[in-house]
Amino acid sequence: MATVEATTVRDTHRPEWVENIGGQLLALLTALGIAVLLGSVIVIAYGENPLVVYSAILSGSFGDANGLGYVLANAGPLIFSALAVSVCFKGGMFNIGVEGQFIVGMASASFAALTFTFLPAPLLVLSVLVFGVLGGMVWAAVPAILKVKTGAHEVVTTIMMNGIAASLVAWVIRGPLRYEDIGGGFNVNLRTDPFPDAAMIPDLGHFFGIASSARLSWVLPMAIVAAAVVWFIMRRMRLGYEARAVGASPGSARAAGISIGAVQVKLFLLSGALAGLVGIQQLFADQGFLPAGYEAGIGFTGIAVAFLGQNSPVGIVFAALLWGVLARGETSLQLETDVPREFIIILQGLLIMSVVVTYQVAKRRLFSRQLRRAAEVEDLHDAEASVDIEEAGEPGSSREVDR
Amino acid sequence: MASNDAGARRESASPLVVMEGVSKRFPGVLANDEVTIDLRKGEVHALIGENGAGKSTLMRVLYGLYPPDGGTIRVKGEVVKIASPRDAIALGIGMVHQHFVLVDPFTVAENVILGDEDGPILNTETAQRQVAQLAEAYGFEIDPAAAVEDLSVGEEQRVEILKALFRGVDILILDEPTAVLTPAETKELFENLRKLRGDGKTIVFISHKLDEVLAIADRITVLRRGAVVGETTPAETSKAKLAEMMVGRPVLFRLDKPQVEVGETVLRLDDLRGGRLQGLSLEVRAGEIVGVAGVEGNGQKELADSIMGLRPLEGGEVSLDGHDLRAMSTQEIRNSGVAFVPEDRHDQGLVLDMTIWENTVIGRHDDADYSSRRGVLFIKKMKELAVRLIAQFDVRTRSIESTARTLSGGNQQKLILARELETDPKLLLAAQPTRGLDVGAIEFVWSQILEQKAEGRAVLLISAELDEIYALSDRIVTLYEGRITGEYPPDAPADEVGRGMLGGKTPAEAR
Repeated sequence: MATVEATTVRDTHRPEWVENIGGQLLALLTALGIAVLLGSVIVIAYGENPLVVYSAILSGSFGDANGLGYVLANAGPLIFSALAVSVCFKGGMFNIGVEGQFIVGMASASFAALTFTFLPAPLLVLSVLVFGVLGGMVWAAVPAILKVKTGAHEVVTTIMMNGIAASLVAWVIRGPLRYEDIGGGFNVNLRTDPFPDAAMIPDLGHFFGIASSARLSWVLPMAIVAAAVVWFIMRRMRLGYEARAVGASPGSARAAGISIGAVQVKLFLLSGALAGLVGIQQLFADQGFLPAGYEAGIGFTGIAVAFLGQNSPVGIVFAALLWGVLARGETSLQLETDVPREFIIILQGLLIMSVVVTYQVAKRRLFSRQLRRAAEVEDLHDAEASVDIEEAGEPGSSREVDR
Repeated sequence: MASNDAGARRESASPLVVMEGVSKRFPGVLANDEVTIDLRKGEVHALIGENGAGKSTLMRVLYGLYPPDGGTIRVKGEVVKIASPRDAIALGIGMVHQHFVLVDPFTVAENVILGDEDGPILNTETAQRQVAQLAEAYGFEIDPAAAVEDLSVGEEQRVEILKALFRGVDILILDEPTAVLTPAETKELFENLRKLRGDGKTIVFISHKLDEVLAIADRITVLRRGAVVGETTPAETSKAKLAEMMVGRPVLFRLDKPQVEVGETVLRLDDLRGGRLQGLSLEVRAGEIVGVAGVEGNGQKELADSIMGLRPLEGGEVSLDGHDLRAMSTQEIRNSGVAFVPEDRHDQGLVLDMTIWENTVIGRHDDADYSSRRGVLFIKKMKELAVRLIAQFDVRTRSIESTARTLSGGNQQKLILARELETDPKLLLAAQPTRGLDVGAIEFVWSQILEQKAEGRAVLLISAELDEIYALSDRIVTLYEGRITGEYPPDAPADEVGRGMLGGKTPAEAR
């Protein structure tokens, strides 16, 4: 028979969130292990030594400080992108339009950088960030309003908005932000003027002995703060609470008086705001201008990273780092082995598939354990309740339970 | 309703199946504790018990879904090992689960033969003819060419039964078959079952609805906490005796209605139109329970949803204490004093994948008590509320951090009641409040509803269970095709109310 403390209503066991996080971590590690093993099979089939290949991948990221710097620098945009995806996902929506929202965000951030040149550095950087956020929000508002007002599915509308965004940027570069500072041998139709230095995000890497070529900037801390903010909104604020209810059971949320449309619009705006910052690293910490044909694909990679991180802000930060390590491994793989770089893409695919499987298994096991405990508690209560009733001799009355 | 008409003949038949000393242990729970039970040819054997008593587990062992941890199973005298449903079917044992497993876009015939096709080439016409013959032989009304997605729940169930019969089973296990049926569909099912019994089939009827068990069963085995507590027949027992065997203590089927002075009109519905509603008018006063009786599908859900502002109306007025509810959002309606126990607690009551404490506060999470104006939640206060309410309403759970999904149906309903009644409402709108609950939980829910009346609140009870309507109501109204067709005192004869439920027609005319 189980112990007596199981009957108390208060928590006496390990809190469930510990079990949840522990279980998630175990699932992620298992998934990684499975992906690495399956990857080894492919490497062996290719006639190479898996140990050599994996150590090449790892040395690319952890071999020296600069390698790590590249990984960290790449993680920032991925975190923003995955957070943007996850926010909508929690509310039961797929924002496939992070790509478009981030492109438009960058166009409007570039506008700020090239227009408000009279501002001192901190204010100019701030206005760049604000314009990036606003651009993303405006682009996200369109599918959100269409969804709430007309029922148009967000997957369709956001994909369409991505196409329009790409054309919009092409137009911006030939029109409003056209290259003026002629000379230098550049093709004038392929990029904007360089941004003023005051608009650029300061380097962070030199504090840690990382070369400035790694471009590790303040964008990474910003992304981590954003993850913390998203966590707070989703777990500690009304919007997140309502969003999770809407995502998990729209009918119950509605019957509880939650306005589903309002929640969906707010989530899309938050998602767009995060998306608007995806390109900051690339444009304002690295290149220093807005190029034509600006489609980096990070908006789509964010979907994979959000998935890998199971849509939790903490998970997303780690997933982005892991993704960064793999991406960095592409280069060292080419330098040190004969395995083609596409192996990394295979490995990323394997990782996502193993995550799908292990998380499902983990979730099911966790749920059945919860169910089992619930059954134990009911049994114990039943035993107690019947004793209570015999003593009280009054069945059916709603009695106060004092333990 | 003479059910055990042929009882004497069957009494002498030797058992077809004997399960002897069968135990099944799940980690931490002994689901079956040395259960011994026998099934005879041509009988309806009811297996009853509260949720979690082990009735479904026992039958899943017989159907090869769970390997038993101990005991033997004999079929026609021989000890058998049933390792899978395939083995069970080969031995002539079939099972229809509570949740159907049908392929929606497929036709009835395709579903019936699925997994039992004759060779790689599908002959639709032959299949349809076979299924039609089978259906006719047992008096099942069904079109073999109809797509399953177009069928009613009762018809889907018939397809499930046909699937088992098509595989030539002699023993048919039905797990809570009436839980999803309307009263009319239940009646039809019982006619089918009697025909099957007459044909020598054995039916195991798993249920916790005592009236139905008494109406259809030849023998009744009662399980409590994994063990058999007794075997009886409808002739030897009564509803009260069965309930006591199930629960382990006497159960009150009629609670004392508190005497309360009826006050002013609280809820007024005037000529509601839209969807199924065709001019529904109704008043509920403070201190009274008005029971809306009716066969499901006559506008019950539309009525509840309209009051809660969850469905647009084409016409009519809804007012609470003189305030127009139609002009309000669901949130405003709740805030103005309406508590809502929805008929579907999974779809409208709880967010199953959120924790218990998150569920106890939903709908009131924007009160100043539980979140700031800027939208930051007061988690600690929310949890305190949950701890207090689950103690007060005896919601049995390990922790308020568990998801609502882990609760049993009765505890889920208690959680909803706790949340809704905490708001000190003017009106309680309770739709099918005891659907799917077992006897003990029903008693609790009923006493809570009567308590609301005693507190002087208005209660609108919508229920398809006439028993429930009678047990609680001060006034009974009947709902038929979106209109109120009659009003009755609480002691009106059931057949009179039944006529109102069919729009004032006799059952024969209604057909």
